[in-house]
Amino acid sequence: MLIHRRRFVAALGAGAVASTAGCAGGSQEESGGGAGVAGETLTLTTTTSTYDTGLLDAIHGDFEEMYGVTVDAVAQGTGAALESARNGDSDVVMVHARGLEDEFLRNGYGVNRRDLMFNDFVIVGPESDPAGIQGMASATDALTAIADAQAPFVSRGDNSGTHTKELNLWEAAGTEPGGDWYQETGTGMGEALNVANQQGAYTLSDRGTFISQRSEIDLTILVQGPIEDGPEILANPYGIMAVNPGVHDNANYDLAMAYIGWITSPGVQESISEYQVNGEQLFFPRAVSENPDFQQYVPEGWSSDSSDE
Amino acid sequence: MPIEPVAQSLPGIARVAVDLPLLLDLPFREGYVWSIIYVSLYVSLTAVALSTLFSIPVAVVMGFTDFPGKQFVKSVINTGMGFPSVVVGLIVLFGVSNQGPLGALDLIFTKQAMIMSQFVLATPPITAISLAAITGVDESVRDAAHVLGGTRVDVALVVLKEARYGIATAILAGFGRAISEVGSVLIVGGNITGADGISKTRTLTTAIQLEARQGQYGTAMILGAVLVALVLAVNAVVIRLGDQGVHR
Amino acid sequence: MLRLRSVSRSYGDETVLRDLSIEVGEGETVAVIGPSGVGKTTLLRTLALSLEPDDGAVALDGTDAWAAEESERLALRRRVGMVFQEASLFDAPVARNVEYGLRIRQPWTDRVRSQLRSLVGVHEPADAVSDALDVVGLSEKASQRSSSLSGGEAQRVSFARALAYDPDVLLLDEPTSDLDPRNTAVIEDAMAKARDRGIGVVVATHDMHQAERVADRVAVLLDDGITEVGPTERIFDDPSDERTRKFISGELVY
Repeated sequence: MLIHRRRFVAALGAGAVASTAGCAGGSQEESGGGAGVAGETLTLTTTTSTYDTGLLDAIHGDFEEMYGVTVDAVAQGTGAALESARNGDSDVVMVHARGLEDEFLRNGYGVNRRDLMFNDFVIVGPESDPAGIQGMASATDALTAIADAQAPFVSRGDNSGTHTKELNLWEAAGTEPGGDWYQETGTGMGEALNVANQQGAYTLSDRGTFISQRSEIDLTILVQGPIEDGPEILANPYGIMAVNPGVHDNANYDLAMAYIGWITSPGVQESISEYQVNGEQLFFPRAVSENPDFQQYVPEGWSSDSSDE
Repeated sequence: MPIEPVAQSLPGIARVAVDLPLLLDLPFREGYVWSIIYVSLYVSLTAVALSTLFSIPVAVVMGFTDFPGKQFVKSVINTGMGFPSVVVGLIVLFGVSNQGPLGALDLIFTKQAMIMSQFVLATPPITAISLAAITGVDESVRDAAHVLGGTRVDVALVVLKEARYGIATAILAGFGRAISEVGSVLIVGGNITGADGISKTRTLTTAIQLEARQGQYGTAMILGAVLVALVLAVNAVVIRLGDQGVHR
Repeated sequence: MLRLRSVSRSYGDETVLRDLSIEVGEGETVAVIGPSGVGKTTLLRTLALSLEPDDGAVALDGTDAWAAEESERLALRRRVGMVFQEASLFDAPVARNVEYGLRIRQPWTDRVRSQLRSLVGVHEPADAVSDALDVVGLSEKASQRSSSLSGGEAQRVSFARALAYDPDVLLLDEPTSDLDPRNTAVIEDAMAKARDRGIGVVVATHDMHQAERVADRVAVLLDDGITEVGPTERIFDDPSDERTRKFISGELVY
């Protein structure tokens, strides 16, 4: 498989660096150098969408081998993943809700945020499309149409990144969802898709989970996201942050930064772009760019002028 | 690596039950199912063993002595039997979280934390059912042991022996609650599987929950069947041991 | 040998034993007769040292048990055996039941070893066990579960269980009340054998014929305590106390 060869090459290069550093670390372990991480465990709290698509399992072996460490990936949903990190129970977070990430940064819990990758959200529903939203260019128009038709809509209702995005969309559409047609499941994306499938309902899904599950359900994409030239508002960017060792001194900051460095490296970014489920690419790398993007390091809209607010 | 010893140490019934779904070509990597069975059994059996070591002496003391507040302790135990597992999970989470009193031990998302929450879950049923079994032993049997020269310890041992089926039932009930519980182990364990496909804190129940979350109801059902087979196997082993006791 | 001296015992407001004295000697059988509810069981439990009297003393070979240290009292208590009206066998094989008294008198290491051997089924009962079972005629049932026995057989095992560790005194509380004549005869025969071994036997019974058959001496326990103690023949033929006479002749109806 292509991925394997690519990973192998990436591992070789990085492995050479790591083994050299490992020798140095071995001779003076008390110095606590960055290479003295072998045998340690990195706790990553992340979202169900990165985990359930199998992406992390596919790429983590490379990192574990390179550093001789273990990655404990805990799939919790964006809200819970950030909360675990806030309590100092994880070392690094990978989530997809910029507003919540920014709050996390502003409160001092996270440092060194990087844009990681993106995919997009899609509005899916039954082929019969009772609200007639197929091919709409505006996601908010589509939601308004669903609300007007009182067509069944399934919401995650779990404070996840997808749920946060959905609420933002309703707000942008100027519609307050509610009534019999609007159901909150309080479950993961896969279950929400199943519920929508069984009830012939619409729902908002990240493209990755929908693709990995498409063969089992009858729902179809009715409004595309930006990857397929849909509206930009449906973009789904993933960010990664280390837990601030100044707040939680037990956080494994060295390893967290090694992980962030590794996952934003060109080799792994390419592995991410080559990861496929059912023959489709799920995630689009975003960390490697020729152009500077300073906004990825700070809360959105932050500038030094407003820093004292 | 931890998989071979697991495979060998499991009883034949469980082996058959697990080979079956593997024949159906599950979309799992080699060793995955074994490793979650291992974690399930390791966590539940350890928790139940600790609960038993704690519960039986408590039940004996409560069954043999009267002390002020005994009714209160009883009602606490009975309430504990119905305690929701997610609440126990939350409490243990607060305890072992970095911010909690045991934070320095770094127990969050480990089997040890799962054992703690299952200990809390399994102890009330084991204590309550053991206590019922102990107090259910006929007074005349205690009398007989005493007048034949038995000390308090001798009498307690006789009562424990007479109550052994009830106590076995209690332990099975505790095991049943522990191994079939999903809420607390998900919260404190984190449902972690390594990149090599070997479970660290994923149990059968949380694996089922994960499959269901992804809409993979078919594989969830198969894992559910494995779980049921496992519980039946453990019950069968215990009942068989009990029967041998009768015939000897 | 075993002796109650001026013993009183009450349960709440109700005085069951009042200033009561009685004694049993080596190789002697004493029957305690009296209507039910009069305190025969309390009397026997007091003799067995399993019940502390409110007043008075219980002495074995001159040692006051309740004035002694707890360890010494245990040693004294272990020289006494008791059989109830109910067999109260343990849920275990017959031989393990009979062996119980011997087992608990052993050091812990031996007890654990015996338990393990019995679990793997290689345990051979001690001679005293076979001997005691022989006395009640149940040697062939040694390996059966106690639950498989009839009521009469269970009571005979219960007797053997108290006999096996060779106590100095055997206390029998209505041992044959629930039994048919054949099993009653076996128990009475076993009582005689125990007496022949020098064991002091106290049997509480409401069956005056049994008292006449087995006892050397009879104590009559009525509401106010022991009205009369004496050689069996004299008590039945020529009671000196008026109330004893009425009880024995059946005029005093309870």
